[in-house]
Amino acid sequence: MPPTTSTKKSTKKLADIDGELCGICQACATVCPVNAIEVTESYLIVIPEKCTGCGVCVKVCPVGAITLIER
Amino acid sequence: MSEKNCVIVVGAGPAGSSTAMGALRAGAAVTIIDRKTNVGIPVQCGEAIGKTGPGLAEISVPEESIRATVRGFRVYSPGQIAVDYAEKEPSGYIVDRRVFDKELFARATEAGADSLLGARFLDITRSKGVVNGVIVRHDGQRKTLEAKVVIGADGVNSQIARFTGLRKSYKPADIDSCFAYEMANCELEVTDLMEFLLGNEVSPRGYIWIFPKGNGRANVGIGIGGTIETKTAKEYLDHFLKHHDVAKRQLSQAKVIEKRVGALPVCGPNKTNVVDGALLVGDAAGHVHPITGGGMGYAMVCGNIAGRVTAECIMKGQVSAKHLQQYEDEWRKIYGSEFEQSLKLRELILKTDDATLDKLAGIVTGESIVRMTAGKKVKIFMKAMATGDKHLIALMNELRKLRMV
Repeated sequence: MPPTTSTKKSTKKLADIDGELCGICQACATVCPVNAIEVTESYLIVIPEKCTGCGVCVKVCPVGAITLIER
Repeated sequence: MSEKNCVIVVGAGPAGSSTAMGALRAGAAVTIIDRKTNVGIPVQCGEAIGKTGPGLAEISVPEESIRATVRGFRVYSPGQIAVDYAEKEPSGYIVDRRVFDKELFARATEAGADSLLGARFLDITRSKGVVNGVIVRHDGQRKTLEAKVVIGADGVNSQIARFTGLRKSYKPADIDSCFAYEMANCELEVTDLMEFLLGNEVSPRGYIWIFPKGNGRANVGIGIGGTIETKTAKEYLDHFLKHHDVAKRQLSQAKVIEKRVGALPVCGPNKTNVVDGALLVGDAAGHVHPITGGGMGYAMVCGNIAGRVTAECIMKGQVSAKHLQQYEDEWRKIYGSEFEQSLKLRELILKTDDATLDKLAGIVTGESIVRMTAGKKVKIFMKAMATGDKHLIALMNELRKLRMV
């Protein structure tokens, strides 16, 4: 769901992390230009309000756990 | 836990614990906080550490963490030309990072550090522009922890680096994406050498490693450039295990006992690692060798310096960037040129095609590889000229510009 309050350039894409594949290495978070991937104790979450759907995180994931989905 | 801590170290890995011990030794009070509740887990590393770093940092490698001692390495060029380097005596260890990290952390607390686990960093606090604490979520509550100095030892994805402005996001080309298996039932040809495999087919912009862990076990992993989009790191490693001669000879019967992922900065240290009231150590500081990806030794040595300098600055009541700069100056004196040279060498290796790397493997010795990765000069120029190969000679000319041959 696109947040109505978002000030980011509107894109229809959103990074989606497959929790079953993700090993929490945070490679994705290190390259995220808007710091949209947050680390909790045991998983990563994409903050939809921040994510611009640029897809740079998809490239660096060592296990291919990230895809861009339609919002 | 005291309300007004002198030093808050964010991150309980080797960098954080070493920094804490350095600060404690110099008389500061320290609290180490970590997002996780299990220090050392999950393991995200090749688990290799030389003897030099811990020696310089005066921190002994925990005996109970040592799985194998190694004397050197075997590098396979893309065309599988092996170059060996082995010292007479063990020069490093393959450790169990779960035990290693935990033990260092335990030692830091035994030396007097307070600890706060399961504390997720949310924000930093500032007073008149000077960092003076962190806000964390702990036990479901938002808590403000005051500090004279905040130290970011929170790894490649350092939030302290981001919130202090010391580093923005990495470009994909600046990180390596890593995947590894811990394996049992391996039939390693050498049990006291670390094996590395290079090549565009095997691991573009990176390498595959096979590190012995004793009793037929090994840490087998890969780091590839963050820009590689053809396959994931895992796919490259799985392909290697199935099809490569070196894997078939040693790992055909091996079983996976753990899966690991990781990310490494390979673009050298941050421009600066200090701001008013805060500094960075370890992977957060970019203290990772741009070619080998090794970081634990640097983390311990530089962490130890950072801890001491921080304590000294606090005693003097001067925690501005200008005074914390002493840490930058000290670590750069030891490792500055090593990082600079190996960064240039990394760029050169990345530009060099596989065929030329094979020719290079034909003329280098293990000794010269050691010197090169340490950013020092090697004597291979005449050998290269003797081959008459124009690509190899061109490479030598590039190396000469770097004053490495």
